[in-house]
Amino acid sequence: MAGRGRGRRPFGTDPSISRGEGLPPGLQQPTPVFPVMEQKPLPLAGGEEAEYLLALKQDFRGVMKNLPFFIKPAAAQRDVQRYSDKYHSSEQTNSLTDWNLDWRRFPRELQVHIRRRVREGLAFSTMDSSVPVQKKKKKEEEEVLLKLETLEKKEEHEQSSEEEEGGVKKKPEEEEGAEAEEEYDEEELEEVRGQQAWVRTTEALRV
Amino acid sequence: MTAQEVRLCGLLLQEHFGEVVEKVGRNLLKSGTQNLRAIVHETGLSVDLVKKSLCVLMQHGACSFIQGRKGPGSPTEYKAHCDRMLRILRYPRYIYTAKTLYGDTGELIIEELLQRGHMTMSNTVKTVADRLTQSMDEGSSMDYGEVSSTFSKLVETHFLQRCPPAVGAGTTGSSQTANSTSAAPASSTAPTPESFPDCYRVPQVTLIGRSKRPLASEEGEDQRNAKKAKMDPETHGDEGIYWQVNFERFHQHFRDQTIISAVANKLDQTSSEIVRTMLRMSEVTTSSTAPCTKPLSANEIFRSLPSTYNIPRHILDQYLTLLVDDPMEFVGKAGESGGGMYIVNLNQALANLARATLESIVQERFGSRSARIFRLLLRKRHLEQKQVEDFAMIPAKEAKDMLYTLLSQNLVQLQEIPKTPDFAPSRTFYLYTVNQLPTARLLLQNCYKTVANLMERRLFEAKESKRLLEKSQRIEAILASLQASGAEPEQLTEVEEMITAPEKQQLDSLRLHVNKLDSAENQVDETIFLLESYISSSTKPTSFLNDVDGMWLERKAHFDLDDTARTLRHNGQKVERYTKETAGN
Repeated sequence: MAGRGRGRRPFGTDPSISRGEGLPPGLQQPTPVFPVMEQKPLPLAGGEEAEYLLALKQDFRGVMKNLPFFIKPAAAQRDVQRYSDKYHSSEQTNSLTDWNLDWRRFPRELQVHIRRRVREGLAFSTMDSSVPVQKKKKKEEEEVLLKLETLEKKEEHEQSSEEEEGGVKKKPEEEEGAEAEEEYDEEELEEVRGQQAWVRTTEALRV
Repeated sequence: MTAQEVRLCGLLLQEHFGEVVEKVGRNLLKSGTQNLRAIVHETGLSVDLVKKSLCVLMQHGACSFIQGRKGPGSPTEYKAHCDRMLRILRYPRYIYTAKTLYGDTGELIIEELLQRGHMTMSNTVKTVADRLTQSMDEGSSMDYGEVSSTFSKLVETHFLQRCPPAVGAGTTGSSQTANSTSAAPASSTAPTPESFPDCYRVPQVTLIGRSKRPLASEEGEDQRNAKKAKMDPETHGDEGIYWQVNFERFHQHFRDQTIISAVANKLDQTSSEIVRTMLRMSEVTTSSTAPCTKPLSANEIFRSLPSTYNIPRHILDQYLTLLVDDPMEFVGKAGESGGGMYIVNLNQALANLARATLESIVQERFGSRSARIFRLLLRKRHLEQKQVEDFAMIPAKEAKDMLYTLLSQNLVQLQEIPKTPDFAPSRTFYLYTVNQLPTARLLLQNCYKTVANLMERRLFEAKESKRLLEKSQRIEAILASLQASGAEPEQLTEVEEMITAPEKQQLDSLRLHVNKLDSAENQVDETIFLLESYISSSTKPTSFLNDVDGMWLERKAHFDLDDTARTLRHNGQKVERYTKETAGN
C-alpha cells in the first residue's frame, strides 16, 4: 500500500521519474576517498596581504612552540641510563617554572608544589624523574663519605705534617658537603665517585 | 560542539600548545563541565600535567572555572569554550588589522597579547619596547611613552579590554555569590567583560624611561632572562589589572570592511566612501548586536565626509538615493527630517553577503546552471519540478539531474504537500526549497572540516620530510654561526653543499606545499567569519538571564517579566538594563 507506512517514501516512488528511465546504478562499494572533481577549484588569492598573513601565521606558530605554554609530553624513559641524560634533563625543566602566574585569578587546587626533597607518596610526574634516584643517591653518598673518611685517616697517619694540613682542609669541606644534602647534584656525585676511584687506584698502587 | 569543531579545536591546540593540552582540551569539549579528578581519570595523564594544561588554557581564555556550582562544598569545575579556541585561526588577521590601523607598535602589542593571553599593561609595554628596540638601528631605543600611548589608543577604541576579575578564585571564595538569594544556586556563568564599568579604563601606570638595548655580549643572557618572568623589584601601579584582546570589536571592524568593499565592488568608490563615513560615525553609538546603525541625517553625513571627497550636496543626495534603491539593501531610509535620515542595515547586509557566498559555493562546486537553479529557489522559495525547468530555462532531464545532485548534497530540500490524507505519489505536490540559515550552518561545518583536513595534510607533509627538515635546520644554524664568526666564503659553500640538489628540490616543493596549505587555511577562515557572523546575527539572542535562571523561569507557567526582574536581585546588572529598557519604551 503506497504511502500507508510511517517512514518516508523511498527514492523510487518519486513521480517525476518513471522506472527504467535511467535510474542511477546502485552503489556497490563505499564512495572513493578522493572523488574526481568535475569543476576545478579557483586558485588561491595571492598578493602582498596574503603573503604577509602567511608569514605572520608561521611566525606565530614558531614563537608559541618556545613559550612556556607549550607543554611537551614527558619524554619516554630510555631502557638504559645514558651519559647524555644529564644534559637532556636540564632542557625540559623550562616550562611553567618561568611563568609566574597570578594565583589570585586561578583556583588554588591547580598549584603544583615542586619539592626538591623526597615527595610524600609516589612520584607521578616523570619530568622530575630524579626524585626516586635521590633516595638511592643519599645512601650511596653516606657510604662514600664514610669510606673517604676512613681512607683520609689512613693517609694522615702515613704522611707528613704538611700533607696533614691538606687532608684537614679537605675534611671540613667534605663535612659541609655532607650537611648540604638537598643541593647535592648528580655532577658532584660523579666527582665524588671519581675521587673514590682515584683513591682506590692510589691505594692499589701503594700496596 | 559538533564533531568537526572538536576535531579542529584539537588540531589548533596541538599546534600551539602541545599534545598534552590538546588531550585535556578535547576531553573538556566532549564532556562539558568537569572537575579535576574526572579529567585526570578520563585522559589518563598525570595530575601535574593536567593542572599545568588547565592553567595554560585558562591563561588564554579557552577555559573557565566555576566554584561551588552544586553547593558550597563541591569541587571546582572547568568548562572549555569552543568558539574561543576557533579564534586562534584568525590571529594573523587580527595582527594585520592592528598593523594597518596603529602601525608596527600596535601590531606588536596585539601579537604579544595574543601570545600570552592575559598581561598587565606595564609588562606589555616593556616587552614591546624591547622588541622594537631590537629591530631599530644601533644607538636608538624605544621610549616607553610612545608604546603606552599606542596602548591607550587601542583601549580607547575598545580593541583591548580588561579581563574580568576572577569569580571566587583564591582565598575568599565565592563570598558575593554566597549571599545571593536562595532562588537560584550560585551564578554559573562568568559575567562578560563588558559588564564591568572599568572595562576600558586605562590605569595610572608609572612607566617612564626607555627600553635598554641589550649589549652584544649579554644577549644570550638577556634572552634567557626575558623568557623567565623575573620577580621585578619595581612595580608600576597596575598589578592585578590584566588586559586581553577584544575579539568582538575586531569582528565589528571586519564586518564593516566587508560591507564597504562589497559596496565598492557593486557601485563605485564614492558610494563606498559614503558608507565608510556612515559606519565610522556610528562606531561608538552602535552596539555589536544591533541590527542597524542609528539614523544619521544627510546633513551630518555631508559634514563628516573626508575632505578629499569634495562632492556637492545634491550629488551626495543622489548617491544616497541610489544606495537606498539598490537591491542589496545596504542602506535604508529611516525618515525625512534633516534632509533624510539614513541607516546602514547591518543584519540585512550580512544576510546578503552570506547569500552571495552560498551562491558562489554552489557555482564553483556544481557549475553555473546548478547555481542558477539554486538562486531561483532562494528567490522563489517553493517550486515544483516543472516550474524549476521553466524558470531556469534548462531542459528537463538536465534540470532533474542537477536538482537531484543538489538534493543529495543537502543543499536543497524537498517539501511534500499532500492533496489526500494518504500520501499517494500521484496526488501529492513535491516542492523544492532552499532555506538560507540551515544551509549556511551546513556549509559552515563543511568549512571547519576543510580547515581540519588542510591542517592534517600539512602536518602529514611535515612529518614525512621530518628528517630532511631537521637536516636543513641544522645546516642553517651552522651557516648562521659561521657567518657570525666571520668565515671565508669557501667554508660557507662547503657547508651549503652538504644538502644535495635533489634534497634541495624536495625541500623547495615541501615549502611550497606547506605555504599553499597555510594560505588556504587563511582563506577558508574568511568564509568562516562571514558565515559565523551571519548565523549569530540571525539567531535571536537567548534569554538575557543566565542559563539557570532561564530554565527556572521557563518552568513557571506564566510570569510577569517586570515582577521577576524586581525579585531576582542577584542578577543585578542585567536586570537593571532590562528594566531601563522597558521603562524607556
